[in-house]
Amino acid sequence: MPQQNNGLLRAFWAVTLLALAAAVAVLIAYTPDEATMGPVQKIFYLHLPLAINTFLACLLVFVASIGYLWQRSVWWDDLAVAGAKVAVLLCSGVLITGMIWGKSAWGLWWTWSPRLTFSLMLWLLYVVYLTVRASVESGQRRAVVGAVYGITAFLDVPLVWLSARLMPDIHPSSITLSGEMKLTLALWFLPVTLMTFGLIIARFRLNRIIRDTTDETQRGFEPVNLHVSEGIA
Amino acid sequence: MIRAAKQSLLIAAKDLRIESRSRQTISLVVVLGILIVTVLGLGLGGQRPDGPAATAVLWVAYLFSGVLCFEKTMAVERQDGALAGLLLAPLDRGVIYLGKLLSNVVLMFAVAGVITPVGILFFGFDLSKAPLGFLAIMGMSMLGFAAVGTLFAAMVSSSRLQGGLLAMVVFPITLPLVIASTQLTSRLYQGDETWNGSAFAVLVAFDAIFLVVSWLAFEWVIEP
Repeated sequence: MPQQNNGLLRAFWAVTLLALAAAVAVLIAYTPDEATMGPVQKIFYLHLPLAINTFLACLLVFVASIGYLWQRSVWWDDLAVAGAKVAVLLCSGVLITGMIWGKSAWGLWWTWSPRLTFSLMLWLLYVVYLTVRASVESGQRRAVVGAVYGITAFLDVPLVWLSARLMPDIHPSSITLSGEMKLTLALWFLPVTLMTFGLIIARFRLNRIIRDTTDETQRGFEPVNLHVSEGIA
Repeated sequence: MIRAAKQSLLIAAKDLRIESRSRQTISLVVVLGILIVTVLGLGLGGQRPDGPAATAVLWVAYLFSGVLCFEKTMAVERQDGALAGLLLAPLDRGVIYLGKLLSNVVLMFAVAGVITPVGILFFGFDLSKAPLGFLAIMGMSMLGFAAVGTLFAAMVSSSRLQGGLLAMVVFPITLPLVIASTQLTSRLYQGDETWNGSAFAVLVAFDAIFLVVSWLAFEWVIEP
C-alpha cells in the first residue's frame, strides 16, 4: 500500500472523530429532551443514521457481488466482504440502540413489531453471509458462493420488509421533530456515515493485504498458473 | 420452450425414478418429519396448540425435512460422477435447475402428505374449515422454499461444505415465506374471513422473484 494513502486515511479518521465529538457535544448541550421520554430518546439520533448506513453497506455487498460475477476479479470479492462485515456491525448497533430505546419507551427489550423483526432478519441474513463464506475452503468457490448469496440476500430485503410489516406494529413510523432535533439528527448523519465509509475502506484494505500475503506465501508451494486462474477465470 | 419443458420433465422423472427405486430420501425425510413433530409435541407438554402454533409446528417440520430433500436430490448426482454427465449433456443449465426444482417440489409434497396427517393426528389440528386455502398457501410457500433451496443445494454440494450448512443458508432467506404463510393461515383459521391481500402478495412476489433469480444464478453455482 502506498504511504501517502495512510496520511489521507489518518486525516479522514481525524475528521470523522472531530465530527463525532461535535455531534456528541451538540447532543448534550443543545438538543432539547423529548417531552415524555426524557434524555433516553436521544439514542434515536444514533439509531436512525446507523439504520440508514446499514442499508448502504448491504447495497455495497449487492453491487460488489454483481461486480464479482461480472468481472471475476477478487477485488470485488474483497469489497463485498468488507461491506458485509460493516453491515453486520452497524445492524448490531441498530438492534442494540433500538432495544435500549424500546426498553424505556415500551418497557420491553423486544417485541415482534415490524421494524424490530426486519432488523433482526437483516442481521441474520448478513451474519449467515459471513459464516457461510468462512466454511468454504476453495478461494474461488468462496467468492462465487458469497456473490450469489449476496445477490439473493439483497433481493430478499424488500420481501423481508414487506413481510415484517404483516406483524402487529407499535414502532413509531413517522415522528414529528422540532427544529433543533432535526438539526441534531442531520448532524449525526455526518460522523456515522463517515465512520461507515472509513470502516469499509479499512476492512477492504486489510482484505487486500491479507490476500496479497497469502498469495505470496502460497506462490512458493503451488504452481503459479493456479493463481492466475483464480484471479481472472 | 416446449423442448425445455420436456427436458426438465425428463430430469425430474429420472430423479423420481431413482427415488422410487431406492426410497432413500423419502424414508429418511418422513421419519425425520415425524420425529420433529413428536419433539415439538413433547416440548409443548402435551398441550393442543391453536391456530398459529399449529402452523409453527408444521412449518418447522416442513423446513427441516425440505432441506434434507434438497440436499439428497443433489447428493444423488455426486455418486459416480453423475453430475459431470448431466452437465455434459446438451442442456441449458436452467433446464437442469427446473428439473431439480420439479423433483424437489414433488418430494416435498409427498413428505408434507405424511407430516400433515401426523400433525393432525397428534395435535388435533382442524384444517377442515378451509382445506383448499391451506393447500394453496402451503403449496405456494413450498414452491418458493424449493426455488431457493434447489439453488443453494447445488451451491453447497458443489462447494463440499459441511452438512447442515444448507439449512443455515436457506432459512434466513425463506423467513418472509414463514411470516406471510403464518399470517395467512392464522387469519384463515381464526374466524376472520377477510383475505389478507398483502400477505398473499408477499407469497406471490417471493415465488416470482426467487424462481427467476435462482434459475438465472444456477449456472454460476453448479460445478462438477
